[in-house]
Amino acid sequence: MTELKYLYGIIPTDEINQTPLPSFKGLDEQHELYNIAFDGMEAIVCDLEESEYNESALEEKTSDVQWVHEKAFHHHEAVMKLHEIYTVIPMKFATIYSSKTNLEETLTKHYQEMTRLLSWLKGKEEWNLKIYCDNDSLRERTAAHNLTIEEKKKEIEQMSPGRQYLEKRKLDRLIDQQLEKEKEQHSSSIHDQLATSCVKTDIKKNWNKDVTGRTDEMCWNSVYLLENQDVEKFLGKVKQLQAEWKEAGFTLELTGPWPAYHFSKLK
Amino acid sequence: MAIEQSTQSSNLVDVLETVLDKGVVIAGDIRVGIADVELLSIKIRLIVASVDKAKEIGMDWWETDPYLNSKAANKEQDQKLKEENDDLQKRIEELEKKMGKDNRLV
Repeated sequence: MTELKYLYGIIPTDEINQTPLPSFKGLDEQHELYNIAFDGMEAIVCDLEESEYNESALEEKTSDVQWVHEKAFHHHEAVMKLHEIYTVIPMKFATIYSSKTNLEETLTKHYQEMTRLLSWLKGKEEWNLKIYCDNDSLRERTAAHNLTIEEKKKEIEQMSPGRQYLEKRKLDRLIDQQLEKEKEQHSSSIHDQLATSCVKTDIKKNWNKDVTGRTDEMCWNSVYLLENQDVEKFLGKVKQLQAEWKEAGFTLELTGPWPAYHFSKLK
Repeated sequence: MAIEQSTQSSNLVDVLETVLDKGVVIAGDIRVGIADVELLSIKIRLIVASVDKAKEIGMDWWETDPYLNSKAANKEQDQKLKEENDDLQKRIEELEKKMGKDNRLV
């Protein structure tokens, strides 16, 4: 029977010598995770039966949304477990090699970069901030508190009905633009305050309501790589900002600690 | 307090945007194509929502509907094959009986 290697991540050998790999069931719920030593690094893998996970079998599996859902979470939980114990270079979901030899060839190719990345990631963790806002109430507030908009409204009241219709639509657009500007300004000022205590940061795209399944709108999405010793301070700052912005209709949601998914890049 | 631990309770988008989009990409030699995060989140959300809703009102017919469930489709195909097999078996038996009779006649 041929066995494929599903790769979860790379960890340093000295850390696995200190704390042995805990028992964890692999992607197929049969094979256990284990480590393959590679010159100071350990590739954390699980075996998969070739007959069940070859390209065409996988094509069928990945077209099943529920399968992807379940297995993506399995990958997440396995890498999280590794991250709780070790420094880890997390792999993207579904990184699979047809043999140990092929896996080792890839490791050889990226060996230096991976070594560098492992020592850089040591003692660091990733946090994700998403800011949501209640668009309707923010819009009302913007419309009520903006002087230019206020003046424009008065002007419109003096106009003929036909003109009023056109001008009101123009004003609506103006309010929308103003609202977007304010959301962006507020979010990026929150971000700037948090970014001072991190090693590296990245701004991600906002997901719409269909994707998030929420009623409020995502207006900011960013990730931060933090030194372990700075995390407490960072969390304190987030709490403070959460309280500060609640009144204005902004909800700050922080998740973490994550393995450094966003900051593990190879050239 | 909205500071969460990103373990089991993590929400769908947080996990998908991370493990499907990020992490080291050193493509393995087994190629795997996966739908993008946006499409996948929407689909998963729809499935979860509709399954919950349907169960709430006591509907579970899709679990056996071959158009909606690939396992059910396989099951249906298995059933068809089984019927066909039984049918062929019967015909063989009948033919054998007939041949036996014929042989006796000879």
